Amino acid sequence: MKKLHFLEVEGNTKGFYTFLGLFGLISLIGVLAAYHMEHNGHWVTGMSNQVIWGTPHVFAIFLIVAASGALNIASISSVFAKTAYKPLARLSGILAISLLSGGLVVLLLDLGRPDRLIVAMTKFNFVSIFTWNILLYTGFMAIVGIYLWTMMDRPYNNLTKKAGMAAFIWRLILTTGTGSIFGFLVAREAYDSALLAPMFIIMSFSFGLAFFLLFLMGSYKYTQRDLGDYMVNRLKNLLGVFVAAVLYFVIVYHMTNLYSADHRDITQFILTSGGIYTFLFWVVQIALGSIVPLALLYGPTGNNRTMIGLASVLVILGGLAQLYIIIIGGQVYPMHLFPGMEVTSSFYDGVVASYAPSLPEFLLGMGGVGVTLLLATIAIAAMKFLPASLADEIADPHGK
Amino acid sequence: MTINIENKNNDETVNSLNKDAESSRRNFIFGSVAAAGLSVAPGMMLYQTANARSLSDFSLKEGASSKVRWGMLVDTTKDVDWNKCVDACNKEHGLGNEKNSRDDQKTQYIRVVDVKNKGTGYSMSLPVMCQHCESAPCVDVCPTGASMKRPDGIVLVDRHRCIGCRYCMMACPYKARSFVHEVLTDQTENTPRGKGCVESCNMCVNRIDNGQEPACVEASGGAIIFGDLNDSESPISKILSKHGGKQIRADLKLNPGVHYQGI
Amino acid sequence: MWLHLNFNFGFNSSFVRKSLQKLPLTVAGLALIASLNTVNASQDGLGPKITLPENSEGKSCVLPSEQMRREHPDLLKHDRIQTLREGVRAKADDKALDGSLKQCVNCHAVKDESNKFVRIDNDQHFCVSCHKYAAVSIDCFQCHRDIPEGSGAFHALTNHKDVNYSNVVPGNYSLTVKDMANIAPEVNSDDN
Repeated sequence: MKKLHFLEVEGNTKGFYTFLGLFGLISLIGVLAAYHMEHNGHWVTGMSNQVIWGTPHVFAIFLIVAASGALNIASISSVFAKTAYKPLARLSGILAISLLSGGLVVLLLDLGRPDRLIVAMTKFNFVSIFTWNILLYTGFMAIVGIYLWTMMDRPYNNLTKKAGMAAFIWRLILTTGTGSIFGFLVAREAYDSALLAPMFIIMSFSFGLAFFLLFLMGSYKYTQRDLGDYMVNRLKNLLGVFVAAVLYFVIVYHMTNLYSADHRDITQFILTSGGIYTFLFWVVQIALGSIVPLALLYGPTGNNRTMIGLASVLVILGGLAQLYIIIIGGQVYPMHLFPGMEVTSSFYDGVVASYAPSLPEFLLGMGGVGVTLLLATIAIAAMKFLPASLADEIADPHGK
Repeated sequence: MTINIENKNNDETVNSLNKDAESSRRNFIFGSVAAAGLSVAPGMMLYQTANARSLSDFSLKEGASSKVRWGMLVDTTKDVDWNKCVDACNKEHGLGNEKNSRDDQKTQYIRVVDVKNKGTGYSMSLPVMCQHCESAPCVDVCPTGASMKRPDGIVLVDRHRCIGCRYCMMACPYKARSFVHEVLTDQTENTPRGKGCVESCNMCVNRIDNGQEPACVEASGGAIIFGDLNDSESPISKILSKHGGKQIRADLKLNPGVHYQGI
Repeated sequence: MWLHLNFNFGFNSSFVRKSLQKLPLTVAGLALIASLNTVNASQDGLGPKITLPENSEGKSCVLPSEQMRREHPDLLKHDRIQTLREGVRAKADDKALDGSLKQCVNCHAVKDESNKFVRIDNDQHFCVSCHKYAAVSIDCFQCHRDIPEGSGAFHALTNHKDVNYSNVVPGNYSLTVKDMANIAPEVNSDDN
């Protein structure tokens, strides 16, 4: 095995500036969309008093969940001492920070009063899981920052394992916290399940790794660095395991909900009669987001980079669909003010609320993805996050 | 069961209260509670005398007291047009001044809900507003403490702190909260409200502190009774202890301050 | 190996660095100028003047003008917490709270030539005139009513005039809340 060598991406090139410009533009459009929503008020969006959280929250929660999942590679290397993943640990850390930043930007810009961020930072209600999440997110940034430091600064390398353990524990709590945002809502049947928190953790593994794989393959392709099959195959096999695990959790989640009478209605709504939500579930989440990627990753196309990339994209799309169903599908289905009774009112009681995502919402969500990519791109040019080569003779610890 | 309401003109009540107020400051007696004698069955009067407890017991200098728990009792068996309550609420708080919002984006503090039993065909209507829960989920989930409960049990939003995250709306089992989706102008003096904040029924806290009943209670012609749930002598407590009342979604164990009869 | 920040973006950063070094001084200077201007504003006749209520000869606000100029934000902030969160609506001596935005508006609201109250989007509004001059933005009126409530669109049953604070506004001043209410004229036109 040859010596591992990290190197910045050359920043002063046309290709680099092109990507920087592209990601910057997406971010800028997102900020402008947020300004539009903020200036006019949320009436310009599809959100309402019935569908309270919309498309921005789907993107924000996806990015936040993926953030903790992206850190997984580093955790496997430091905590579980799998040296094969060590070359990727730094990238894993910086992608985690970038994803979290992107998600938080979206969440912040969708607030009714984003100008009052300072209030959220100074007035805490410790009964609220939201408050805990604010602390968990800022803590995550700090801990992963320290973790990266111990990896990249040789005198502190001996602390990497400890910092990695702290980050690993922290990210588990963080994803549990994100899942609990929904799990704690007693009133909404779609969310009233203890399975949500562990399901969010396994979802984070899958979404985070899919994003990681895409970024890794993309950056090595455009910098013409060697990325051997050894590393890619390890990662894509891992991705397959995570996708299958998410699928398992989804099945258990819906089966248990079908079993208990008071959750049967909402589950039947999602699975059979929910229109767009049923379509998203079966076609996008299950077929395109789970079955097809599994076939692509484990089938005869398993060694084809394009197909691995496609599988990762599909996993991300399936993940967005899954969160869309959880977040928006869970809201459009009416709450039962009087269980068993037929209820109507001027405030849309008893009817399935309508929601159509608006362009500004979508652009704001995409802006979060843009911010993530922008930060990660700047980071790999500024510091030594990427190995100069991940060719098989370097990456494979058992290689010749 | 026959129900007779001896209904007195509400405006008159308020006016006379204001005149009396010169001599005995804030020694208000709750208008329609005092004026309305409620008989549940012929010959059986629940109460006739004035509410013994008045607001003078609760000083505005010391603020809301935890000795008090304000509550409401809605008698849905009464033949009342609940829309009157909605109108009174909208007028009191200056609601309905959105210019751009879609219908599903407009604020409602109180709404009329029609309930029908599919099996028996029995149907009824009732007004639903913020239920002012004792363990309010909206207060628990609010990250900044903007969603709050006063010591006297009134749940309201401190708009100075609200950042508009809408988590409280996700948490409320009664869909009692609304988000202001656009720039508002021409608010009423006593109910400041504006873009980007969440709002809901505040039990007309401004009126209560001034010794008046909530607007919907006043407009209900005696079908909604307002009072102190902690005071066993108050009409609301007496009726509740004698004839009982139900809370909506009592299974969630939030102990709302709004009780209903006939649901 | 120490961390290297190696941005190869190919532009000279010395200008940025120099500017950044001067930043704190610049900010402090601007703040000083702003504060001097604000405090001296109406003494030297340069800045905007606060509108006084009609019929208020010999009466003054809850605190002397000098103090009001500096302390009104604290008064408002303190009392909004007391009123909203704690339900305190009167002071220990039964007198009305000092920091009631409603009362500020009722006394100080400005009318235009056509005898209508000017709203918050107008530079003549008593809050805007000063705050624009001092370049301090406020968001009070995104929620609060910006002009007195009269006989316009919303004639609330709880108009402040019905509130029976027969008490004197604290301090050595003889203006009562009731006086204030009377001073605040009826709005004859509609509210805009």
